[in-house]
Amino acid sequence: MALIELEKIVKTYDLGHQKVPALRSIDVRIERNEFVAVVGQSGSGKSTLMNIVGCLDVPTSGRYRLSGRDVSDLSDDELADVRNLEIGFVFQSFQLLPRATALENVELPLIYRGVSRKERREQAEHALDLVQLSDRMTHRPAELSGGQRQRVAIARALVTQPSLLLADEPTGNLDSKTGEEIVWLFHELHEKGNTIVLVTHEPKLAARCPRAVRLVDGMVVADGKGRDVALANAEALGAETLAAFHAAQAAQGRQRVP
Amino acid sequence: MSESALPLPLEARPRQIGFRRKTARVFGELREAVAQAAYALRAHRLRATLTISGIGLGIAMLIGILTVLSGFQVSFLRQLNTLGPNTLFVHKWKWGVNGNDWWKYKNRPHVTQLDWRALEANANLPEAIAPIVSNDASVTYGGKELKHVDVRGSTSKYLEATGWQIRRGRFLTDLDHELGTDACVIGADLEEAFFKGQEPLGQRLKVGPSTRCTIVGTFVRKGNAFGQPQDLRVLIPLSAFTRSFGLKRGLVLSVVAPAGKVTQTEDEVISVMRNARRLRPDQEDNFSVNRQDKLLQGFNQMTLALNVVGVLIGIITAIVGGIGIMNILLVSVKERTREIGVRRALGARRTTILLQFLCEAVMVSVMGGFVGVALGAGAGKLVDVLTPFPASVDPKVVIGGCLGSILLGAIFGIWPALSAAFLHPIEALRYE
Repeated sequence: MALIELEKIVKTYDLGHQKVPALRSIDVRIERNEFVAVVGQSGSGKSTLMNIVGCLDVPTSGRYRLSGRDVSDLSDDELADVRNLEIGFVFQSFQLLPRATALENVELPLIYRGVSRKERREQAEHALDLVQLSDRMTHRPAELSGGQRQRVAIARALVTQPSLLLADEPTGNLDSKTGEEIVWLFHELHEKGNTIVLVTHEPKLAARCPRAVRLVDGMVVADGKGRDVALANAEALGAETLAAFHAAQAAQGRQRVP
Repeated sequence: MSESALPLPLEARPRQIGFRRKTARVFGELREAVAQAAYALRAHRLRATLTISGIGLGIAMLIGILTVLSGFQVSFLRQLNTLGPNTLFVHKWKWGVNGNDWWKYKNRPHVTQLDWRALEANANLPEAIAPIVSNDASVTYGGKELKHVDVRGSTSKYLEATGWQIRRGRFLTDLDHELGTDACVIGADLEEAFFKGQEPLGQRLKVGPSTRCTIVGTFVRKGNAFGQPQDLRVLIPLSAFTRSFGLKRGLVLSVVAPAGKVTQTEDEVISVMRNARRLRPDQEDNFSVNRQDKLLQGFNQMTLALNVVGVLIGIITAIVGGIGIMNILLVSVKERTREIGVRRALGARRTTILLQFLCEAVMVSVMGGFVGVALGAGAGKLVDVLTPFPASVDPKVVIGGCLGSILLGAIFGIWPALSAAFLHPIEALRYE
């Protein structure tokens, strides 16, 4: 049984005077322990796809099965529970609660799951330990660097032991060096058995994923090895991006490639 | 990174929230909601303080008004009791009459000594009947004149009929009335004014323009009733009073009924009076039998109106405070839109968000409630100390103020909280 089964997913936004198709018939299956990048230009529908996969939104038509459970027309409360139990979100802008400490931020999803205070604390400390932030637990987001904030966000996503880790441009707000650290963290998490879906517009990130899906105008135009799809994506974007891509690849060659 | 410590997604984990977890979830959410609300209020201290003081003033006003009104009521009842609960007052005038009926009462015949004698002779139930007549006159002693002294004529029954007490000397006797002697009994204010440290008994006063009286006794101090001093008073025999001042005003007959038989006595007094005045069955009474509880009814009607006005003012102020709550909550929702989105993404249900913001609203209003109760009780205490009215803070009012403020927060918080709960998670997350 695949973890994610998307069948003929269509999403149309109704703006009143016109209907805007965001996704037109998406069919994608993602198995457990896959690491999939979703690439595409802005407006290609990758955010919409991520919202649907993340159960933040429901498709206009089509079937979405997550761990074998049909979630395409659940009630609002049921969707909230699915998000809590199955999915860990990592956002581009971290989205930490500014007034809460790192530990409290990581504890938050466990509150919604009904974990007792003591267990909550233990699990949150454990998750922060995983992202190597054990010494920053009582810091508030403002007292942390960008990379540390994203680590807290990843700890928050991991603490519930989700079936699926969903990351939306996780390196978008970070400098390239810190971004690289976060990407390494994702690869390590993948090696440990986590399923990760990474939404990105950076070809070099997609190129390092075992699998990538490319969206154009709400349709899947390529689905295959990350490197191939990323290359095709970069070519489609034009010579300038292609040059950047090859430069990145060359630089990559000097490093270890996961 | 420790190798073994990584959480692995298990293939067949039960993915459901069980009952035990549901209760833990409710408590966890509540605790978190309270903590977040407290934090939000602390972060916006000025805003919260302004709103809290608004609500506080509203509730203080409400409690203050109710406290002062209940103080009036207590003091009125206390004064009413000086009239004696079992005493009927037969009079030409009816107590608490409005201007409309003035002529009707004005044209009635006076209550006379004939009526008194008829009651004495024919009414069996009354324990005592005292005719009372009074006049405003000046009293002179040793070259010192006191104006506006309440000069009263009555009989030996006066003490029994009114509850007044003799401090020194004796009271008027039946013989004083029969003979029309010059005996008089003086109130505490007069005694103080004329005889500081001197012996008043046996001294002679000039009462009114020409009457001379000998003091035979003094009254125990009575204090004020209905804002009027009662101790500036001279009591002389009824016969002596008529001789000096005439009977222009007619009498008031103070009739003491046996305890528990006030109504029967009233009926008997009415029938004896009608007989004495030869009224036909189709004629109305041309006299009134007044009771203190009738006075109470009139008073209650008046205070009811005041209470209604007070409560209305309080409610309006509370609504103004409530609008303040709504305002800061709407701002709070706006400021925390992204946070709402994050919470929703992490698995918060709509009710969770609703609870969180309701918590904030109720916290503000409850703090306002405490401030209000404290201010209101303080104002009540101040009135109690500074004015003659005994204003006591009713615990019911305090509890009502606290519960009311919770309700206020919930009512005015519900709309902003609902608007937060029904935000679409995606739009909330994207909100800038």
